[in-house]
Amino acid sequence: MIEGCRILLLDDEPLILMDLEFAAEDQHCKPLTATNVSEAMAHIEAQSTVACAVLDVTLRDGETCVPVARELERRSIPYLLHSGDLNRQEGTLAELNAKLIAKPACSSRVVEAALALATAPVDGTKTN
Amino acid sequence: MLSPMRGGAKVFQDPMSDRPEGKSQASLNDPQARPRRDMKDVEREDRFSDTSGVLFEQAMAQTRMAVCLSDPHQPDQPIVFANRAFRRLTGYDEQDILGRNCRFLQGPKTDRHAVAKVREAIENEDVVVVELLNYRKDGTPFWNALHLGPIYDSKGELLYFFGSQWDVSDVRAARAEERHAREMARELSHRMKNMFSVISGIVNVMGRVRGVQKEAAEINSRIQALGRAYETTLDEASVGVIDLGPAVRAILEPYDVDDQIAFMGNGAQVPFSAMSLIGLVLHELAANATRFGAWADGANGQVALDWQRHGNEVVLTWIETGGPRVAGPPEETGTGATIMDRMVKAARGTIERNWKPEGLHAVLTVPFVGV
Repeated sequence: MIEGCRILLLDDEPLILMDLEFAAEDQHCKPLTATNVSEAMAHIEAQSTVACAVLDVTLRDGETCVPVARELERRSIPYLLHSGDLNRQEGTLAELNAKLIAKPACSSRVVEAALALATAPVDGTKTN
Repeated sequence: MLSPMRGGAKVFQDPMSDRPEGKSQASLNDPQARPRRDMKDVEREDRFSDTSGVLFEQAMAQTRMAVCLSDPHQPDQPIVFANRAFRRLTGYDEQDILGRNCRFLQGPKTDRHAVAKVREAIENEDVVVVELLNYRKDGTPFWNALHLGPIYDSKGELLYFFGSQWDVSDVRAARAEERHAREMARELSHRMKNMFSVISGIVNVMGRVRGVQKEAAEINSRIQALGRAYETTLDEASVGVIDLGPAVRAILEPYDVDDQIAFMGNGAQVPFSAMSLIGLVLHELAANATRFGAWADGANGQVALDWQRHGNEVVLTWIETGGPRVAGPPEETGTGATIMDRMVKAARGTIERNWKPEGLHAVLTVPFVGV
């Protein structure tokens, strides 16, 4: 079951973030929004049950989502990349080897794809 | 190992061909250890020298390629010859140059690694090509593509090192400029895609606030198709034209129909200005196929999409098969189709829809000016 599960949303652009947040609410999820790496990390730390995540790759102030992605991997939490920076981030994208949805994309499609990852793999990351 | 002299002027011998392997710096000082050359080669070269020696010297003096020779048998390997081009390039007079080691051209920002490569080549009697930042007499820096190699006499004894200097500052500047332009294009591309994403976010959020989510979603699907249509443009080095293939794939990407579409076109390019129309038309066709045609729920149809450029127009052909059986044209023209027709008309293009029993067959023609 997806309903009520926590989905981490990371994007440095507030409007995109808000759009994703609404889309997650439409799916009856609890969105955790972050605009930078440290906010995202804080969510992961505070919430033991994050089901999945949507990560923007290129963030402000030269940050990328890589540290967040690594932490999620460590905890076996599935994530997908949501990026418009396909050319510059070629290396990063290849390194992370996660599902990618190119911006601009429909927010509900992005959230649905992330939730599909949460139901598909391993165990442990179910709903509460 | 670079060896640009191979097959070049015969005076400059390829040092790799006639030297015992693994010769060390120490062995350089031992005359017995010096490479001996095949006598057959020497005879041939002597003939060459006899007939062309003077001419060669004149050419060396007058060429626009800066050339100098240094003597490895004197302490600190001083320059013993520098041609006019060398003097012109560096701004030094002959008396400034002769008797000094080449390193007087180096300066504070000269890369130590490049210098080390030069030193190593000299020690090993190798040929090397390096780009060094050098300084003229007046202190101005220039990028020097230095070719350096040993010269042997007819007995195979090391005689000189020769160096040719080429000012490649312009080349390097052009390379840097190109890199910068590419960086800028990528930054712009990223920003543009982000901008489309933000616009899309605004529309969705407003739609929600005003309770018109469905309408907002429809507007959004078009905005996103447009955004994707331009996806490849700014990444291209070429200005003002778009490769249709990647653009078309990007436009249709969100329909997730990998195994239900065949891309037939190849290599055609269209001007930037034609792309928004193509993007929106493809979106309408794809949306229609998803609702009623080859990609509808339960149907397992196929779309064959071809694009060809004929002179100053591009022709896109969309052929659906295997969807629900089509009885004929729809009784009412949907809003999507109406918009599409008007847009095509505004662009002075044409779109033909042929409702065959096996599926829609549509041909879009978009004219453009020039390019």
